Amino acid sequence: MIILHIARKELLRSLRDTRTFMFMLAFPIVLMLILGTALTNAFTTSLTFDDLKLAYKLEDPESQASGYWNEFAKSIEQNGVLVTPLSADEDGKKAVKNGEYAAFAEIKNDGIEFYGSNKLTVESDILQGMVSAFANRYSLAAAGAKQDPASLETLLSEAGSGTYVKETSLQGDTVPDSMDYYAMAMSTMIAFYACMSASQLIRGEKVRNTALRLAAAPISKAELFAGKVIACTLINFLCVIVVVAVSRFAFGANWGDHYGPILIVLFTEVLLAVSLGLGASYLFSGEGGSSAVMTFTQIASFTGGAYFPVNDMTGFWAILAKISPLWWANDALTKIIYSDEVQALWPAVLFNVIFAALFLSLSILFMRRKEAL
Amino acid sequence: MNVLNIRNVTKTFGDFAAVDNMSLSVREGEIFGFLGANGAGKSTTIHMVSSLLKATKGEIEVLGKNIAKHPRFAKSNIGIVPQDLAIYEQLTAYENVQFFAGLYGLRGSLLKERTEEALEFVGLGDKAKSFPKSFSGGMKRRLNIACAIAHRPKLIIMDEPTVGIDPHSRNYILQSVLKLNEMGCTIIYTSHYMEEVEEICTRIAIVDHGKIIAEGTKEQLKSIVTDTKEIWIGVRSESNISVEKLKNVPGVVSVRIEDGQIKLQSKAEVNNLNEVIQQLIQDNADIRSVEEQAPNLESVFLTLTGRNLRD
Ligand SMILES: Nc1ncnc2c1ncn2[C@@H]1O[C@H](COP(=O)(O)OP(=O)(O)O)[C@@H](O)[C@H]1O
Ligand SMILES: [Mg+2]
Repeated sequence: MIILHIARKELLRSLRDTRTFMFMLAFPIVLMLILGTALTNAFTTSLTFDDLKLAYKLEDPESQASGYWNEFAKSIEQNGVLVTPLSADEDGKKAVKNGEYAAFAEIKNDGIEFYGSNKLTVESDILQGMVSAFANRYSLAAAGAKQDPASLETLLSEAGSGTYVKETSLQGDTVPDSMDYYAMAMSTMIAFYACMSASQLIRGEKVRNTALRLAAAPISKAELFAGKVIACTLINFLCVIVVVAVSRFAFGANWGDHYGPILIVLFTEVLLAVSLGLGASYLFSGEGGSSAVMTFTQIASFTGGAYFPVNDMTGFWAILAKISPLWWANDALTKIIYSDEVQALWPAVLFNVIFAALFLSLSILFMRRKEAL
Repeated sequence: MNVLNIRNVTKTFGDFAAVDNMSLSVREGEIFGFLGANGAGKSTTIHMVSSLLKATKGEIEVLGKNIAKHPRFAKSNIGIVPQDLAIYEQLTAYENVQFFAGLYGLRGSLLKERTEEALEFVGLGDKAKSFPKSFSGGMKRRLNIACAIAHRPKLIIMDEPTVGIDPHSRNYILQSVLKLNEMGCTIIYTSHYMEEVEEICTRIAIVDHGKIIAEGTKEQLKSIVTDTKEIWIGVRSESNISVEKLKNVPGVVSVRIEDGQIKLQSKAEVNNLNEVIQQLIQDNADIRSVEEQAPNLESVFLTLTGRNLRD
């Protein structure tokens, strides 16, 4: 009961602290709007189109299928795709793995095998869209040819230049546009900003001298602690929900269909941030906790993908990104939203919960040792 | 019965003993004055009594129970008015009192009743819904008190509750202390203003350098003073007066100028009034009155420490 009494006060106080509260809401929403609209071009397929590299192999260069493929290749080359035939002894899949091509297609008589890069996901998605559009037309045409040779001609003539590209744009929904991306990135960022208010939970009471009254009251430190952690987590999670809702309903960002898992990831991230902020306020004296947390939040936002996507990073930057809690959340959310991989929430949730438990225990340990608060 | 027993308590910060082997008792129904200069160790003592700090040595009993062994019992029976304002700016006066009273286990209608009662008591009944931001210094001080009394503690500890406020609010607070005492509360009143302590306290301890150097009723304390006298000289113009030259007059121990009065402390056996007045005439002071004061706590402090309370 006393925990709820403390949590209630903390909620009331935070909600009335309109300046901080408005910042927590306005900051991500404004940034989302700016980055989401300013960087639209960076996220549309047209920009990366010049770099679309497709390798292919023909099982039987004399077959009818190969003939159609060559026409298809010509038409997409006009759209800027670099189409490279591989000789029989070259390993197309390996070349894709090495990043030489975004995708590799092997044209066989009974169909097309497509192999896309998992690094250049956007590019390979586009190529896959084109190739599958071709495959659909081809099989349709081939089926039609058996009954009516004339329809074959019409179908294939429709498949002139440009048509495939249009088809791929139909597939575009599975790739985040800039607003989709920043809606997600700003939500995970503001979830993590909870650590800043958390670092002030105890410090603030000292500055206000109210720490003295709390320490003189017949409550345990654990009760005080629990009340504060609950309130701080709730209020920050509320901010995150509002940001998600605004991005969804005001900006039309795509959040996929799995809101439950998405909110679980965000909630555990807030919990982690609160624990981290609290731990830091015990580890560093005075305002040191807040500055440390502030610095860490900025760096983690930057490397974790708050301002630009970091998934294509390699080497040192990729490792740096993974140190950021934001990366874990962004990675999980990307998979949940765009690939329907609901189980992708687990690595992020585990990461968040384990570190939250660690920082909370540390804080409790430090708190016990302190004479007052 | 003693509400508070402090036995041989020491509190050190590093090598420095802020409270040094202190012992004292406060009886039920007293207004106990705790008088001492800034840095004497008053707050440190109070913080140990209210479990904010742990005594390095010694033991403390509240209502007969050791506070280290029964912290909740002691805490429940104490209300502390901190030296610095300890209220939330984002909460209304009512919410502030309600929150702190709630920490003592009050709930529901009882909590509401006691909160209103406390606000009414400090004269903020009509300001319940206002935020402290709109309050004057004196009103904030009164709210600070309300937050400490709503749970009806047996022992109320006030740490310099009148620092930096207007005379009207100060009076109000002093009257409240007397009223609380009439209602059955035992009060420890900390201050470095000897006039206040002299006005309301039934028993007084003088603290210096973490030690109690004298303890007793006003009369008992004043009987200590035999070797200093205090002379107040009313003047019309104080601008030219040289405090330094007055201090050089043989026998003069200290000089301060307050509200158009020159307040001199001097050794009792030296007859130096002529020289003092000559000096003032030289400085064009335009003397209105001269009177010798009865011994007060200021002179007690001076006798005991050789210093002024406010130096
Ligand atoms: N936490 C602390 N650490 C170090 N010194 C302290 C601390 N608290 C108080 N002191 C010192 O102890 C002495 C007594 O302080 P305090 O009890 O606040 O005096 P008072 O309340 O009588 O003005 C002062 O010299 C002060 O500087
Ligand atoms: Mg003090």
